Parts: sequence; structure tokens; C-alpha cells
Amino acid sequence: MLEGLVTKLADTPWSIALHESLYMYAITESTHVLSIMLFVGSIAMVDLRLLGISYTRVPVSQMLSRILPWTIAGFAMLVITGSMLFLAIPIRTYHSIWFRLKCLMILIAAVNIAVFTFKVERDKAAWDLGPVPKKSKICAAISLSAWACVIVFGRLIAYNWFDCDSITSPTMAELTGCPLDPG
Amino acid sequence: MTLYHTAQNIEASALGQTIRESTWLFPAIESTHLLALALLGGSILIVSLSILGWGLKTPAAELYKSAHRYTNAAVIALLITGVLLGISEPVKLYGREAFWVKMISLAIALMVTYFVFNPLVRRGASGASVRGVTVLTIAAWLMVAMAGRWIGFS
Repeated sequence: MLEGLVTKLADTPWSIALHESLYMYAITESTHVLSIMLFVGSIAMVDLRLLGISYTRVPVSQMLSRILPWTIAGFAMLVITGSMLFLAIPIRTYHSIWFRLKCLMILIAAVNIAVFTFKVERDKAAWDLGPVPKKSKICAAISLSAWACVIVFGRLIAYNWFDCDSITSPTMAELTGCPLDPG
Repeated sequence: MTLYHTAQNIEASALGQTIRESTWLFPAIESTHLLALALLGGSILIVSLSILGWGLKTPAAELYKSAHRYTNAAVIALLITGVLLGISEPVKLYGREAFWVKMISLAIALMVTYFVFNPLVRRGASGASVRGVTVLTIAAWLMVAMAGRWIGFS
């Protein structure tokens, strides 16, 4: 079903225009990188506070209320430019093992954010300026690692080591959704 | 010896060859370069937002005490990984306009950050001129990042 959707996407004039444009793809990709500076950069600063190793004189509540809006703005830009990059090369990206791993990491980071928002930060008034609890440190460490993986896997999508035409093992064919060459 | 010859010599060096011929080395260095870029963005942003009045209410000079360590670490990591990437393909870079735009904006960004922005923040200076320097610093680094990404397209 997804495969069909992606194939249809590749045939849209939008996809073809993005793919063939001289500057639009490059502008989109560069904006994606600038948005990483805003998004991962700002969330990393929040995570360093939640780890209790930096900005310890800034109340946790203020860090969340004054910095996270910038993080969300960066995320919105990443989703927009990221969707455009996917739209430009839908079929290859859909089958990319790095893209799939990147999505998995984003999912892990999202669950982590949900746990932090609905459980961990509930009693933050008690540790707004005091020593941070272990649960906060764990969430921050997961966040830092997950977003770092998202950056690395995202960068590796550009490399063709595991493109469909070079896949020979059944396991990789399964993981990438690529057809295994019968010959 | 011209600059072009120097580029050719660097390209022929053992280190240049090793990075160029390895499958994983270039992508690994490139990824580290990107991770350091994110750290640089965050550490400069947290101080800048406070100066501009759009971020933390904590004085920028106080934030700087934590932030400048990350800025320095990021700049060092970016320079090391950047030089390694450059060593692997200097002849290509020599001919790319985006590379020279990046080098010029990098020189400007480094000078503005270390000779103007940082000293002002450390002193706890405020006012329209400090806000102007802040905007200039961010713009310079964004230009470096943009031109850097553009090297791959030109």
C-alpha cells in the first residue's frame, strides 16, 4: 500500500518539478541543514540542562517554556523541508535503509518526548533549580543520542551502498522492501 | 608554487588518498561535521536569544559561561573535520565558488564571534549595537553553513 502511494507520489508534477529544478532542491536541502542547527542545537541545550551539567542556574521550567518554542519552530521547518526532499526522490528514499532507520529514531525520540511531557516533568517544580532527578537525565540522554542518530542516518541517505540494485541478501531485501533479484 | 599546485599536492598526500579511497571515512567525518554544526547552532542561539529578548531571561553573560565551552568544542570539531574533508578533495574545492564563499564567510564568522560578539557578551554589554552584532554573528554562521552545503551542489 505504501509502495503504491510512493510510486504515485513520484509521478506527480510536484515531485518531477522538485527533482528536475536547478536550484529548488539545493535550496531545500540547505534550509534543512540550517533548520538542524535551530532544532537539534536548541534541544541539545535543553538536554544539557536536563542532564544537570550546564545552565544549572536557569530554572528547568524557564528552559522548557522559553527555548522549546524555538525547537518546535525548527521542527516545523525540518518537517516541511524534509517532506519536500522526500517528495523529490520518493521511491529511492522509501527503500533507503538509512531513511527507515532515521524514521525509527524519530519515533523513539517522539515516545521519549511523550514520556518526558506526561510523566517526567510533572513534578518539575520540585527540581526547578535543585539537582535533577535520574529520570530527567535518562530522558535527556535518550534525546541527545536519538537526535544525533537522526542527523547521521539522514546524512547517509545520500550514499548508495544499500540501494535496491545492490541488495543481495534476503534480510536486507526484507528490511528495505526491495525486490530480490531472481537472477 | 601556485595555490593550485598546493591543492594537487595535498590531494596526492597519503591522508587525502586514505580518506578518498575509504567507503566509510568520508561519510563518517561528514556526519561528525554536521553534529558539530548543530552544537554550534544551539550554543550560539541560546546566548543570542537572551540578548535579543526572545529567549531565556537569564543574563547572556551567565549563559555564556556554559555556552562558550560548547561553541569552542564545536568550532574545534568543525575545523578538524572540515580540514579532513578538504584534504580528501582539494582540487575539486579549488574550482568551486561555493567553497571560497564559505572560506570568506568562515573568516568573517570566526572574527565576529571571537573578537566582537564573545567579548561583548562576557562584559554583559547591552543595547542596540550589541543586538546588531548578535544578528550579524548568526547571519555569518548561517552563511557558512549554507555555502558549505552548496559545495556539494555546485
